[in-house]
Amino acid sequence: MTPIIAFRGVGKRFAGVVALADVTFELVPGECHAICGENGAGKSTLMKILSGVITEYDGEISVRGQPAAFGGTRDAEAAGIAIIHQELNLVEQLSAAANIFLGREKRTPLGLLDDDAMEREAATLLAELECPLDPRTPAGALRVGDQQLLEIAKALSLQSDILIMDEPTSALTETEVARLDRVIARLRQRGVTILSITHKMDEVFRLADRITVLRDGRHVKTVNRAATTPREITGWMVGREIADHDFHGKRSRGAKVLEVRDLTLPWPQHPRGFRLKNVSLDLHAGEIVGIAGLMGAGRTELLETIFGAVEPTWTGEILLDGRSVRFTHPKEACDAGIAMVTEDRKRLGLFPDLDVAANVSLCGLRDALRDGLLSRIREEALVAGPIRETAVKTAGPHAAITGLSGGNQQKCIIGRWLLVKPRILLLDDPTRGIDVGAKAELYHLIDRLCREGLAVILTSSELPELLALADRILVLAEGRLTATFSRAEATEQAIMEAATGGQAPR
Amino acid sequence: MNLSRTTDGGWRLPRHELALLGAIVLVFVGTGWLDPNHTYFANWAESRDIILRNTSLLGIIALGAAVVIIAGGIDLSAGSMVAFSATTCGLLLAVFSDVDDKRLVTVPPLGIAAAIGGAMLSGLLVGTLHTWLITSIRLPPFVATLATLVGLRSFARAMCLFVTKERWGSESQQINVNTPFFAWLKEHNVWISTGTFLVLALVTWLILSRTVLGRHLYALGGNEQAARLSGIRTENVKWFAYCYGSLTAALAGIFLMADSSVAQPGNLARGYELNAIAAAVVGGCSLQGGVGTVTGTVLGALFLRVVIDAVSKLIKASADVYEGMIVGIIVALAVTLTQFGQLAKAGRTLFPGSRGLAAIPTIATFAGLLAMMGAANVEAFRGRTGLFGGVVGGGVLLLLSAIRWVEGRRAS
Repeated sequence: MTPIIAFRGVGKRFAGVVALADVTFELVPGECHAICGENGAGKSTLMKILSGVITEYDGEISVRGQPAAFGGTRDAEAAGIAIIHQELNLVEQLSAAANIFLGREKRTPLGLLDDDAMEREAATLLAELECPLDPRTPAGALRVGDQQLLEIAKALSLQSDILIMDEPTSALTETEVARLDRVIARLRQRGVTILSITHKMDEVFRLADRITVLRDGRHVKTVNRAATTPREITGWMVGREIADHDFHGKRSRGAKVLEVRDLTLPWPQHPRGFRLKNVSLDLHAGEIVGIAGLMGAGRTELLETIFGAVEPTWTGEILLDGRSVRFTHPKEACDAGIAMVTEDRKRLGLFPDLDVAANVSLCGLRDALRDGLLSRIREEALVAGPIRETAVKTAGPHAAITGLSGGNQQKCIIGRWLLVKPRILLLDDPTRGIDVGAKAELYHLIDRLCREGLAVILTSSELPELLALADRILVLAEGRLTATFSRAEATEQAIMEAATGGQAPR
Repeated sequence: MNLSRTTDGGWRLPRHELALLGAIVLVFVGTGWLDPNHTYFANWAESRDIILRNTSLLGIIALGAAVVIIAGGIDLSAGSMVAFSATTCGLLLAVFSDVDDKRLVTVPPLGIAAAIGGAMLSGLLVGTLHTWLITSIRLPPFVATLATLVGLRSFARAMCLFVTKERWGSESQQINVNTPFFAWLKEHNVWISTGTFLVLALVTWLILSRTVLGRHLYALGGNEQAARLSGIRTENVKWFAYCYGSLTAALAGIFLMADSSVAQPGNLARGYELNAIAAAVVGGCSLQGGVGTVTGTVLGALFLRVVIDAVSKLIKASADVYEGMIVGIIVALAVTLTQFGQLAKAGRTLFPGSRGLAAIPTIATFAGLLAMMGAANVEAFRGRTGLFGGVVGGGVLLLLSAIRWVEGRRAS
């Protein structure tokens, strides 16, 4: 059978960082194909290329035997490819029918909108998808599961026969998941080819005919579902080369500084109902506790709750030096000696309009005052310490922060927090989007800070990073703590199994 | 440190400020030379005083607008705030004066102090109200200050009616102020308002570039989320910014009331908020927040006033009609010029597609009409204004078409 889609040597780099390299595999018509991989494995990049969001890449894609060169999402749509994003793309104020026909509205002979025809057709499409809702309902008033079916209805009305679904069940209730399964089965009867991105093993093995595993932007394997096991798949997803250094030796664990007891963070308007559920952990001075978990597992939320950066709706207890605390603003956590380096550097960490010195000095400006006014000389002296300590490579303290590489920007942000002399450092995926050399430097820095007595909580999308740095590793899956490993017990395989729910936790 | 550095190929601010300074000199000298009466050279002292006075009043409000804009917000209410503060000032004078003294000729010193203090306090109140609406009710700054833009003027008028009725038994839409203190302010309005403006500029500069608060203002405007996560109490920083915006307008209100010897909330300072925002933007403040300087804002205000004044010299009759148009064109041009580098870098063109094609005759039509109206004021074109307008419009049409043609060739 000729493949409906063939990837040949597809690659993509973002500012020097390899997101995808030499990916080659094929889809056969009518199959349900699952793409698996850790965070950052390149799944989303590949789908963006296929759906015309990314138009410049290496290699070649052919659709139905014809080489495809999409200039945008419209071209991909014309080729019969539709994508259902994790973040749905609906105009909430418009009706369900209007959303389905957005940009290709039906018209009466007079050129006016033909709402009746659109609503009739929308109703037919939606009924077919077991979603008997009034096509005049505003999209924003629908439940997430119905919104998703609305997107699928839109794809069907476009005559798409290749449907890409990005983490389709991440926000669905169990009944909605069951309904989606039936819809997928029905779509396949109609001959639609489905490409599903997911990291839930039960889902993969329930639906997919074939499975492709990506790791670090590379194609690892494409196999038939019948010929493999969840264990084998998780093994392929990890199995990355361990970082060159093992940092653990001879760290001395000090007194307990932080204790989290039964932390539950509610999540209203979400079927799961919680972002975190009964999470407990201890943290001692001079140790690094690693938090593993896939995207959406609650890693960031855990750190943000400790740091006082979320609305204080949580229950449970956070004890700092044995005293119960409940921070309502990051400032309070700061004053108590807690620092947090956020996950999304660009959105939550950097000040692009300020120079390197101002980015570093921000939290410690009080020490740059002379007679109540900021002194340029004092500020330069103040930031010289952290810039040297974290080995930031910059043309000078007044260079533009946006001119630095990702690794050096991250060092600046860590440096910013060193100025407040914290006792607890929360690092949320600090090496994301950073090249290998800079990663190694950051590992050394984190290790050194820990040896100097800092207590560190480190989350990471990369298991080797946690294995190399952390004294203990906690695994979160869908907001719950599913496993705790000591350094000696932890393996990538075991962690990944706990994070994907592929095997029962220890 | 140089906060004004832009890193994505835009102009650096010192260059921006130099360009503004150059433009100011150019317009000034050019007008002095083109003006048939050569007013600028012949009557230097008077021209200087008019420009200084107008620039100071605009600049005082613009400094407040700049602080709000740098903090990532916007304050549309400044014009109404001016009226509100002037009215508060006038009404307090009325309350403290003798009941028979309806023209407010003699007011005790305590009354004058209370009136000025009350006017400034009104600024503090409005700034606090804005902050509450924005941070607690979560209204977008545009909506919150649009509401006060409309509401405050009306409130001031109602207050004027109420107090005059209570005090003198008859309602009045305005309050005359003739106390010696305000007369003295009026007499020396050039140097007092200029001095106040310069001191305020210095204070604003100190706050923005030499205090922790100032740094937090830039951080808030540049990346609000990151500022909060860095332990900055962003709500408090906003409180300062909006109070500063309202306080500067309140200060301008006192001067404007003194200038006209009357507190008249109905029309005082209508539209001033937009001129102040325009001055800040022309001076290099980015409406995205996080970027802007005091020097730029001062020069922006000066540039706007110099151009407006120049037009009044060249077009003798009812030059104020043209004020809005001048401000509009200058803002559009200034922002276009600062973004020109990025536009070209991103491979964007000025007149793309059918929208671009439609824009060319649109701009040419406006240019032609404008030239025609302008020519009516020039002796040499008497009776041939239509011809002149047609020539200018046609010229613009040809020029823009040529630009589009070049762009099209380069793209293909």
